[in-house]
Amino acid sequence: MMNMSPLDPQNTRREFLQQLAAATTATMSMSAPRLFADEKFVQPKPTADACILLWMGGGMAAPETFDPKRYQPFEKGALVKNILSTFPAIPTAVDGVKICQGLERIAKVMDRATLIRSAVQPDLGNILHSRHQYHWHTGYVPPQTVAAPHLGAWMSRVLGPRNAVMPAFINVGQRLEGVGEQEELKAFTTAGFFGNEFGPMNLPYPEDAAQSVRPPKGMEPGRFANRQKLFRALVDKNPHREFMSDHQQESLLRSMENAHRLISSKERTAFDLALEPKESFDKYNTGRFGQGCLLARRLVENGARFVEVTTEYVPFLHWDTHASGHDTVAGMHKQMDAPIAQLVLDLEARGLLDRTLVIIASEFSRDAMIEGIPGSNARDQATAPSETLQEAKHYGLHRHWTGGTSVVMFGGGMKRGFVYGATADERPLVAVKNPVSVADLHATIFTAMGISPKTAFDVERRPFYATEDGKGRAVREVFARG
Amino acid sequence: MANCFRLAFALLLTLGAIHAGAAPLDFAHQIVPVLREHCAECHTGDKKKGGLSMNTRADLLAGGENGKVVIAGDSAKSKLIAAITSKDAEKQMPPKGARLSPEKVALLRGWIDAGLPWDEGFAFKKAGYEPPLRPRRPVLPPAVAGRTNAVDRILDAHLAQHKSPRPAPIDDGTFARRAHLDLVGLLPEPVALEKFLADKSADKRARLVRELLANNTAYAEHWLTFWNDLLRNDYSGTGFITGGRKQITGWLYRALVENKTYDQFARELIAYTPESEGFAAGIRWRGDVSAGATPEIQFAQSVGQSFLGINLKCASCHDSFIDRWKLEESFGLAAIYATGKLELHRCDKPLGKTAKAGWLFPELGEVNATAPQPERLKQLAALMTHPENGRFTRTIVNRFWHRLMGRGIVHPTDAMQTEPWSHDLLDYLAVHLADNQFDLKKTLELIATSAAYQSRAQVLGRDADERGYFYAGPRAKRLTAEQFVDAVWQVTGTAPTRFDAQVVRGKVSTQTVSEMKLAARWIWSHADAGNAKAGETLVAQKKFTLASAPVRAGAVAAADNSFILYINGTRAAAGDNWENPEAIPLESRLKAGANEIVLVAKNGGAGPNPAGVIFEARIQLADGTVVTIATDASWQSTQSQPDAKGKFKVEPADWQAAVEVPNSALWNARVGKQLAMQLAQAATATQPMVRAALMKNDFFMRALGRPHREQIVSVRPSELTTLEAIDLNNGQILATRLEQGAARILAKQWPSSDALATWLYHFALSRTPTAAEMSLAREILGEQPTSQGLQDLLWAVMMQPEFQLVR
Repeated sequence: MMNMSPLDPQNTRREFLQQLAAATTATMSMSAPRLFADEKFVQPKPTADACILLWMGGGMAAPETFDPKRYQPFEKGALVKNILSTFPAIPTAVDGVKICQGLERIAKVMDRATLIRSAVQPDLGNILHSRHQYHWHTGYVPPQTVAAPHLGAWMSRVLGPRNAVMPAFINVGQRLEGVGEQEELKAFTTAGFFGNEFGPMNLPYPEDAAQSVRPPKGMEPGRFANRQKLFRALVDKNPHREFMSDHQQESLLRSMENAHRLISSKERTAFDLALEPKESFDKYNTGRFGQGCLLARRLVENGARFVEVTTEYVPFLHWDTHASGHDTVAGMHKQMDAPIAQLVLDLEARGLLDRTLVIIASEFSRDAMIEGIPGSNARDQATAPSETLQEAKHYGLHRHWTGGTSVVMFGGGMKRGFVYGATADERPLVAVKNPVSVADLHATIFTAMGISPKTAFDVERRPFYATEDGKGRAVREVFARG
Repeated sequence: MANCFRLAFALLLTLGAIHAGAAPLDFAHQIVPVLREHCAECHTGDKKKGGLSMNTRADLLAGGENGKVVIAGDSAKSKLIAAITSKDAEKQMPPKGARLSPEKVALLRGWIDAGLPWDEGFAFKKAGYEPPLRPRRPVLPPAVAGRTNAVDRILDAHLAQHKSPRPAPIDDGTFARRAHLDLVGLLPEPVALEKFLADKSADKRARLVRELLANNTAYAEHWLTFWNDLLRNDYSGTGFITGGRKQITGWLYRALVENKTYDQFARELIAYTPESEGFAAGIRWRGDVSAGATPEIQFAQSVGQSFLGINLKCASCHDSFIDRWKLEESFGLAAIYATGKLELHRCDKPLGKTAKAGWLFPELGEVNATAPQPERLKQLAALMTHPENGRFTRTIVNRFWHRLMGRGIVHPTDAMQTEPWSHDLLDYLAVHLADNQFDLKKTLELIATSAAYQSRAQVLGRDADERGYFYAGPRAKRLTAEQFVDAVWQVTGTAPTRFDAQVVRGKVSTQTVSEMKLAARWIWSHADAGNAKAGETLVAQKKFTLASAPVRAGAVAAADNSFILYINGTRAAAGDNWENPEAIPLESRLKAGANEIVLVAKNGGAGPNPAGVIFEARIQLADGTVVTIATDASWQSTQSQPDAKGKFKVEPADWQAAVEVPNSALWNARVGKQLAMQLAQAATATQPMVRAALMKNDFFMRALGRPHREQIVSVRPSELTTLEAIDLNNGQILATRLEQGAARILAKQWPSSDALATWLYHFALSRTPTAAEMSLAREILGEQPTSQGLQDLLWAVMMQPEFQLVR
């Protein structure tokens, strides 16, 4: 850790200025986008310095998690149209606010949360995970004529790293090779037109994260340091050095220095879950997602700016419950309940929750009956029957639902114990109060982080905005201080 | 009457006399300041929000997307007045900032009513640069100091005019490395380099350039990267999973190997064939897409960007604010490709108007909007490659100049509406290409043999180009991901043996061809194949097991009259000309264990006529065994038809042995030699090192800047980023290559560590190490080089900016 609190606003600001200077030099190349000079905007005062996005990839059903509706237990012959939730509701630390059974630990920390129950997504014809995930992560519906940057890349580009050695955008838990729709996943897991400098450091396996910031396997620290010394000596002695004293060479050397600095830094220990005390590790260890939450905490403690931790999107697995929805979701509850609650408590105990925005979100919700929204022409993706229940595998919410989704936000300047928006109590479970679009949700997140939703960059001489057309508007009501 | 008078009087008081003939309105001092203060930000210079520009009187009168905004002489009917006086926040102008004072409104009213007087020649900003369309042949200045290359004649004059010195020449080693990397994407091999350095002849550099360009395979496999980026072709990526995208790899690879002339190249991409269709077809996304991203609009955008350096992305949604292209023009280009009615949309909202097929430069001719689509595409292809379309040639020579010299003559290279820093140079290169029958290699040769190309790279400060660009020699270029990976594979000898691109590589000797004997027989479903019905189909299947994955595999197929070949559930090849069989690469289609081939052949003609199909594959396994799979009576045939992947929904119950066609000899006499040659090519041709450009994008190349190719990316990032550097520092892919490479290199006998270090410097940097470098190398290698020492030296050399740049 640095010798100052990484979340101290004063220091953050000073650091920010330094980083900005560094970032400016890093993007000197002619092709790099610059802030769009024509657009006038004022960067808001941030209420959070770090952001952790807990991504429920595959479509987390709101009625099975944070927006319980009338409970229908499994009964052979039960009418599918009566199924709204397959889990009973349980009380939370907030009076009158209930969430689903299976999330008991999270229920206890809901007094630290703002719960948005009225997030909505567009229909997009075929409701596809990859397109909606692209939309959710970039704010833009694919296809786009330029590669749109991921939310994390915006933070990396505009805010820079919070600690100079720590990559600003870290992506935990999603494999990008060897899984279905990998190309579609790669398309938005990118800094897009900002360039790789602002792209994600991908850590698909939290338990192996340490390896990404360690010398190559089999190379002991002494040899690693020696190799670096040799590299630098050869650079110094290079007879052509003066004839190549251009910014390309300098940026190349600077990047090599940065990389080496991280690999030899104290902060790299943040990546090493083996260094976490066993008792604490066990609290998180519900699998890769739980370990990812622990990793996110360690990274944020050490100055990470934006960390996404995913339950991982793999077609037909995890939240992508096209069959046996109830049983699968029960498993997902087990994976998420303890680590998310623990993450919130740990951040709080370390005094970090106030300035760290923790978000639970998904590309859309699910419903037992309706694909899309009422009147949608989207092709039904589920094979489950829509009349009576016969088998357990048909018990669950198997259809893609875009009419009302839950988003939970802890800390980072959000209100505590607060519910915003609501969905109908009877089908269709559409948002009936204060619907929040993807653009407005992003505007809220960006505003909390000190980025105006109107922030624009010049791409091919056109403005490209943090939220689509600069039109996202932060939901003021969820901020603790108006 | 009294009222009228009072109004006139009031005007006189506030404005001075406008209407009265005695004191005419002062446009420059009264009107211009108002327009400048309240309108200029969005409607002058290159800004024209809502399509409205006020640069000139004509622009203002022309109006914007919603029609006219001023009617000269009638302020009451002029929308401009309505907008500046409106109280509706949605409609009012200017949308933000202070409202116009009543005095100013009155001024503008009076001005419009007076007929919009405008000072002659006044414009808020000079009209944007409009590049010339037609080609122009510049007069070449006299050669200076024996520098006769046309590029030098132009540049030497340019430098003299700017009183700038001529950049210093580079030595032979630097030249050899630069030319190799630029033209074929590889490092010069140490032996070839030594030979080149030892050569004393005066023309050796020009000869090297020509030799490199004549290496068709190396040339093709280097420039494949450039074209894959520019035509957004790849071997994996978004869209392939749902069949929404088609590769053009086979077509592109052959076009490069054969050096297809660029006009023909473009014509085949626009008026596409089944093989080159993927470029025009773009990416079809499942679900709804915005009207500015349909395949038709993608076609317009791709054609505009790739061939003309025109960005139609703005104009796909609304009239462009930044250049002259209009929504109707984008949709017109799109409508050439559209097979149905294409409705105009502005910002995704239908305008109730059908787009009329039309091309961007009607001064060269037009597309017949009522002709069928294939005909329209042919007409577009002809217009694109029209001898008078200088934009087409300028765009590509500018891209090539950028690749070789590090910066475009027009820059950025996708913004061809920008003024070039040298008209003469751009125009000359363009006519030179046309003069040489659109042979792109001739452009490369012209540039690479110039003294300008062979000069020292410009030393750039941090503030480079802040005051505009001034030519001062070539600029260092960063190795592309593919060049870097190839270079690592070259030095370490660790290139893979299999590759992903479905192409046939390499050369085959005549002896191999003459020794190639086909085992395959022509087959059909019944013995009376000589009188098969027209349209009759044979569905044949062969299942077999391979002990290991093949290291090399290729096949040939032909059918009278057409066939489709499926391998393991993927369509692998098709053909409809039995006299011209083609080599089919199979390495990446086959696998260890069970494999399945399905061959669907169809007889043509009008009445009964001979039918037959032949297929043969040679599959080489790791242990050297060669497995032959050839059509004969061991194949099974069925009446069932497979699906688009060559799979049967229901396993056919009617399998029966295929029949060897009795009159095989007839066909073999006509096409047997070609079959043998193509099979030899596909299965045995000796291959140069596998190149990174033939591999699917992987983690490492992505990290080094190889794009996702969902959009056209014509210029890669020029800088190494920290995340990339982390991979270079500790990535397992590179570390493994270095480890394997060190073992391979040490297996040779090295007389001394110095000899090894010298070899490495020759290979990696095309030069001898200095004494200081040698002593560092000696230190790490020791007396007896160790694997670890060598790995670390390899790494430290490959991380040098000198290695990672083409300097």
